[in-house]
Amino acid sequence: MRSRSTKAIVGTLLLGTVASCGGTTEAAGPSGAPVRGGTLRVAVADEPECLDPQQSPTAASRFLARPLVDSLVNQGGGGRIAPWLATEWRVSTDRLAYTFTLRKNVKFADGAVFDAAAVKANLDRVVNPATKSLLAASLISAYDKSTVVDEHTVEIRLKHPDSTFLSALATPNLGIQSPATLTGDPAARCATVIGTGPFRSAEGFASQKGISYTRNPDYAWPPEGAENDGAAWLDAIEIQIAPDAGARYGALTSGQVDAIANVSPTNARELGSTNGFVLHSTPYPGIPFSYWPNTASGPFADRKVRTAFRLGIDWPRITENVYFGVYGPAKGVLTPTTPGYDASLESQYRFDVAEANRLLDGAGYATKDSQGYRTKDGKRLTVRHMWSDAGVTDLATQVQAGAKEIGIETVEENLDGGTFVDRLLKGDYDLIDTNFAAPGPQVLQVLLGAENIPTPERGIANNMARYTAPAVQADFARALEAADQESQFKAYADAQRKITDDAAVFPIYDDRTTFGATSRVNSVAFLADGAPDFHQIWLSQ
Amino acid sequence: MTSLAIKSEPRRVSPAAVRVLRVVAVRLLGAVGVLVGAATATFFLIQAMPGSTTDVLLARTQASPAVRAQVIAEYRLDDSLFTQFFAYLGKLATGDFGTSFVLRRPVWDAIGTQLPRTLELVAATLVLTVVASVVLAVIGAGRRRWARSLFSGVEGLIVAVPPFWLGLVLLGVFSFSLHWFPAIGSSDFSGLVLPAIALAAHPVAVVTRVLREGLLRTLDEPFVLAARARGISEVALRARHVLRHAALPVTSLLGWITGSLIGGAVIIEIVFSRQGVGRLLLSAVQNKDMPLVIGVVLLAATVFVVVNALVDAAAWLLDPRTREH
Repeated sequence: MRSRSTKAIVGTLLLGTVASCGGTTEAAGPSGAPVRGGTLRVAVADEPECLDPQQSPTAASRFLARPLVDSLVNQGGGGRIAPWLATEWRVSTDRLAYTFTLRKNVKFADGAVFDAAAVKANLDRVVNPATKSLLAASLISAYDKSTVVDEHTVEIRLKHPDSTFLSALATPNLGIQSPATLTGDPAARCATVIGTGPFRSAEGFASQKGISYTRNPDYAWPPEGAENDGAAWLDAIEIQIAPDAGARYGALTSGQVDAIANVSPTNARELGSTNGFVLHSTPYPGIPFSYWPNTASGPFADRKVRTAFRLGIDWPRITENVYFGVYGPAKGVLTPTTPGYDASLESQYRFDVAEANRLLDGAGYATKDSQGYRTKDGKRLTVRHMWSDAGVTDLATQVQAGAKEIGIETVEENLDGGTFVDRLLKGDYDLIDTNFAAPGPQVLQVLLGAENIPTPERGIANNMARYTAPAVQADFARALEAADQESQFKAYADAQRKITDDAAVFPIYDDRTTFGATSRVNSVAFLADGAPDFHQIWLSQ
Repeated sequence: MTSLAIKSEPRRVSPAAVRVLRVVAVRLLGAVGVLVGAATATFFLIQAMPGSTTDVLLARTQASPAVRAQVIAEYRLDDSLFTQFFAYLGKLATGDFGTSFVLRRPVWDAIGTQLPRTLELVAATLVLTVVASVVLAVIGAGRRRWARSLFSGVEGLIVAVPPFWLGLVLLGVFSFSLHWFPAIGSSDFSGLVLPAIALAAHPVAVVTRVLREGLLRTLDEPFVLAARARGISEVALRARHVLRHAALPVTSLLGWITGSLIGGAVIIEIVFSRQGVGRLLLSAVQNKDMPLVIGVVLLAATVFVVVNALVDAAAWLLDPRTREH
């Protein structure tokens, strides 16, 4: 994840908008049998504007709310959906009705019983416009209504088939909260969230400060296959908000906290070689950090120019120069840990200057001006890279130098957030950069679906490539209506191939989630969206 | 004062009392004017920032059209600018600061949560500034030229150091290495020391210089010669007589510094992971969160007005000449 700053508007904001939790993606070797007890002190960079993930779209709200709320289902490695608060479910043949059988003897932290009515209350509340849900409601945009069949059975009906519905339910954004807390002013949930999770927090989240959790001693309903099948090992967790990367790192190495999230690349390299500390890290599933060309207008409307830009720049070397091996070079539209990733396309993401030059000659940019830039009809081949996050500066400088080698001028435009949004909506740019963490291949539609092009009427949306290729849109539609995961992945694999052939995105590096900790912190593993799984972490005494 | 005057002359109000009352009335009117002006300027400056409020508010989201419509309706973002402005002013007049668009809670509540930590920091910084400046200025106002150049050079150096860098150096030495003070998130006294030093460095350098110049100027005054002739010690001369003269320009400087610290401590708050109004203001501006931005601006303006009134009162006490008109 990029360091947080003023890219505020699109980059970081979009970052990780869709994500689910529950599965573990990487386990670091724990030593010996887990021990119960202890308080884990953690410093994190980002804070949510509101703790409630049904309202907030931020990764920070998912991170801080996940210990408090469980979901109906869990998404594990490879995108597999596993039982959690729902022990089993049936999908009707028209794929419009999902009937969930709910786990019995589950209690919320306020003593309320988890039942079918609670599920209905949660989903109805998410889609109620008064909740002003900035993400959760969109994740289940196909939702029509819930019916309580009996105390432990709920039927959910969709308006149209949506093969991503279960993985949406797995996110903390659709985590189940105590029904009594959902009536009344939604704002009250911005500080306290009451769920069935392995931890509880009586005082809740304090803005700019953090949140403290204590173990839920009754917890006996983790997702199927969880490493810890009972109450959490930790007595308590204290999370502090510490926005400065250097201060977080110093607090860790001087023993003032036990762990930190968002370790900067420089600190990550240092921590990896420091005795007594461990850098836990896993690649984010989703879309790599990429440059997105404006495929609708300007030089990048020409596929040859896009392909030349992708082939003619040595992206892996730039990644190595800027992030010294902490992040790996991207080899596809999705990252390799994303379910449905098509590895057969990797060979197309190669460095081939000769081919790039040939393509540019063919596109009519055969002449060069006195400064060595290509021209067509006397006009220089110039692309404008627009950004508002200073974190991208080093990378952008190197890309600029790489593009110059093949005769393309990149102009760097560092904008304030408002101007950035304005020009994004108008399509007044040639290049934008962002990554996007997400639990599955459906993220392709979020970033390349024709209905997601940002416009003044629609407002902000994420198809910054303004990409509309009908064949790819048809693949997206086919994927949504897919009857099973295999055919869904097949449709998304077709889309990945066409997007690659079309050079609709320039993937640069695979982002990683990082969690630096002392070696007393054991059994660190990551959930599907990159947050650490606090339920299974234990402290050596 | 007023009551005393009335007692001594029961028939009519003394001219002095009228003068004081008039000054107070003009002050109060001026204060209201400053606050209304600050709210108005802030409102229109936010609107002048590029990007529509709705787009910036929803920038980091995947809000559905229904939610977008709800946000616009609830915050009245489709009303004309002037309708929005007068609706806001009307609410403000009744003491309602509105609800933060982004934090979804009352502005006053959002500010109230962060304010105590800010006030602590500002108070500590001011105390540190006054004490350090007086000590350094009295020591530095020696007659030796090289000593003065040395002090002046160090002051220039301090002013050139960015506060965040100084903060990181202090953290590195006194927290990470020596473990004397906590690095992040502490709300007790030990957590206040390093941030206050980092924040006070610039004001100390500036105030010391102003104060020292004042001291040196005053030392040339004839009354100093008279005092020395009476055989007063050099320290007593400076502390009792000269300092009082030199302090006058410094008091108004301190008033200005205090006002700027309320929202201006943001870098220090970030480096030391402190709660504070500065961080609140920064994110509010980035998000075009109009009610919250205006709330913080009004707070800073109020502090500014109050402190300046105190400064004038201090001047009134320090310098009899300011009482004449």
